[in-house]
Amino acid sequence: MLIIALLKGVPARTTQVSQIGGVLNREAMDLVLNPHDLKAIEAADFLKRRIGGKTVALTMGPDMKLIPLMKPLYDAEVMGVDEEYVLSDRKMAGADTWATAYAVSLGVRKLLEMHTAPIDEMIETIRRSGYSDTVKTKATALYQANLLPNRVYSDLPPVRDSIVERFLEGATDVEQAVGELTKVKESLSRFIIVSGIKTTDGETGSVGPQVAEGVSELLGRVLPHATYVEDFEIDDAATAVVSERKIGRLLQKLEMTLPALLTISAEYRPRECPAALQPETRYNNYRGKILQAKKWTADDLAADEKLLGLAGSPTIVGTGIDVGKPPVQKFLNQSLAFLRPVPQVEFEGKKYGPFEKGQLAADIPQGLAIRFREDGSVGLFDYAMLAGELFD
Amino acid sequence: MTDEARDVWVYLQHSKGDLTKDSLEALGAGRRVADKMKQSVVGVLLGDGVEPLARQAIQYGADVVLCVDSPAFRTYFNLRYIDAIFAMIQKRRPYAFLFAANELGKDLAARIAYRAVTGLATDNVQLEVEDYTNPALGSFKDLLVQIRPDFGTRLARIYTPRHRPQMATVRPGNFTPLQPDPKRRGRLEKFEVEDRDYPARVREVVELPPPELDLSGADVVISLGLGILKDGSGRPRDPREAYRLAEQLRDDIHRRYHMKAVIGASRALVHAEIKELEGLISKANQVGQTGTTVSPKLYFALGISGALQHRVGMLGSGKIVAVNTDPNAPIFKIAHYPIVGDLYEELPKLIEIVGEKGYAS
Repeated sequence: MLIIALLKGVPARTTQVSQIGGVLNREAMDLVLNPHDLKAIEAADFLKRRIGGKTVALTMGPDMKLIPLMKPLYDAEVMGVDEEYVLSDRKMAGADTWATAYAVSLGVRKLLEMHTAPIDEMIETIRRSGYSDTVKTKATALYQANLLPNRVYSDLPPVRDSIVERFLEGATDVEQAVGELTKVKESLSRFIIVSGIKTTDGETGSVGPQVAEGVSELLGRVLPHATYVEDFEIDDAATAVVSERKIGRLLQKLEMTLPALLTISAEYRPRECPAALQPETRYNNYRGKILQAKKWTADDLAADEKLLGLAGSPTIVGTGIDVGKPPVQKFLNQSLAFLRPVPQVEFEGKKYGPFEKGQLAADIPQGLAIRFREDGSVGLFDYAMLAGELFD
Repeated sequence: MTDEARDVWVYLQHSKGDLTKDSLEALGAGRRVADKMKQSVVGVLLGDGVEPLARQAIQYGADVVLCVDSPAFRTYFNLRYIDAIFAMIQKRRPYAFLFAANELGKDLAARIAYRAVTGLATDNVQLEVEDYTNPALGSFKDLLVQIRPDFGTRLARIYTPRHRPQMATVRPGNFTPLQPDPKRRGRLEKFEVEDRDYPARVREVVELPPPELDLSGADVVISLGLGILKDGSGRPRDPREAYRLAEQLRDDIHRRYHMKAVIGASRALVHAEIKELEGLISKANQVGQTGTTVSPKLYFALGISGALQHRVGMLGSGKIVAVNTDPNAPIFKIAHYPIVGDLYEELPKLIEIVGEKGYAS
């Protein structure tokens, strides 16, 4: 079981945002892990304890900034993540949600290929070499590289009956071993992706569902998704999840056959994992952790460069605008306003007014203003006037 | 390529035989931009037995209602809905497509935008139409300007110049529905979709009880911020005092003016998880980008400095009264009635006027 958590580095402080033409310059800012992503880590950790397998953190952005940020995740929650990957390439910079989802989907495909290819290698080696040391050497090398689950091969004392071990002991023949390995490969295709519901910088919440679509297109099969998941459970055989999420005033229970993608809401709390399931999860686990994050470039992903980064982004960020000011502001006990309606008046040969009650006494000559104040038609805007304007 | 695309589409959500408030707002937003573009508004309606709703959509601004009416669409199931809507887009090539920025609208729009290889601007608080020129890309006539909160301290204009449809979700509470016009004419067009198998299914849908606190439906929202922890001279105060004052204001407004008033809070106050406010203030009270967007007739911001994330959640309010000790607080940029002062002193005066004397006219 491959458990992939999508993560993002976001600016640490809103006061220190560096932008180039509407695009965040992540290299020039202090980044923190998107706070919403912690829920994805919790969900991934739950899945690892419940089903076993490998938790992988996948992120995109400047590797020099992100790798230190992701380091603590190896120790996060109960199990911590097992491996970390950073999609990092200048060509990916300035991506909107579409171009981000495209790159991340390619990363997911690469992770999947990376884990199914070793099973194919084992099948081929067993077919070619039969009962031989070559099989053991190959299995050991792939196992050491963290690329084979314990079910296939392991040097852990409790996992004595791996597929390779039983084959080498003569307990299974070539076809039986190949059949078992094929099943493992199929189970790897039932991976699960978790992400936060949104990020604190873009706040769109779009990338999760868009990755589900992107991966569907790359793999040629439909990957269902559920957003704002507050609770979910997975069956023991890790074939499907049932997620619970709110849509308006409705609570929907959606059953999704794996592979699937879930975005995890702040309301999510991991369920209890029965200890009795542990021996089974151990078979799905891999050797351990690789404590060095790996960087993948556009070339590593075999990406279509036209679809990456700023160039591949359908949206363009234009100039910013300030949030509108109301047309008229009346400051309590500061603004001068008309306390009663005043008909039009002539002052120094010019006509002013008429004035409505509550109207600001602005744009009138000082002399006239003084006269109005003295005769009580103008005064400070006070609570009584405020209450009148609010409720009448 | 892009020029063939026509019409502004609006996705219509419905509940219990009526279009939702969010959808009527989106329809109003669509009508306004379509008029500027001299294009038609197409309402997209999916469900089982929903044809009669087309009438309502037309009264509220649709020229055409494109409808999938089939038992398979009785319950919302994202994959099936996305396939149907994408089939419509492929066949009809809309120019722009609006969704309400709520759970359902966002769930649909994101995945559809990816499949259609087009941009999606979420949570727009304004929409405009303008000609757009970009030195690298050329000139585009009557482009949709999608205005949404940006990271930092401003709103950003988002354009989707080269791809169609230009997709946007519009934040509830920021757009006004049109006045329904029973004389408006429009037509219903049925759209047929093939049913297919999906690797997912809706197991169960449960209706949740109505929220105890209806922020978005209130006439008056009285919101508290971190400013309630101290008075004007900087001395710590028990925030429950401010809460009680807010309650009194709320009850007086309700009693005297029969307006539905509720207590809101800033994100900072909710996140501070202050012990004294336990059971009084929770996430349900939160106004702003990550909470509820409100557009009441009257909004009180008490001790709220007014970060952009808060302001975009209450910008649509009719009249905004702000009390803050800091004359430079950003909330004063948008308040109609700025009150520079200590809320522990000002609030009782306000309550006195509202509750007892009223306006001596």
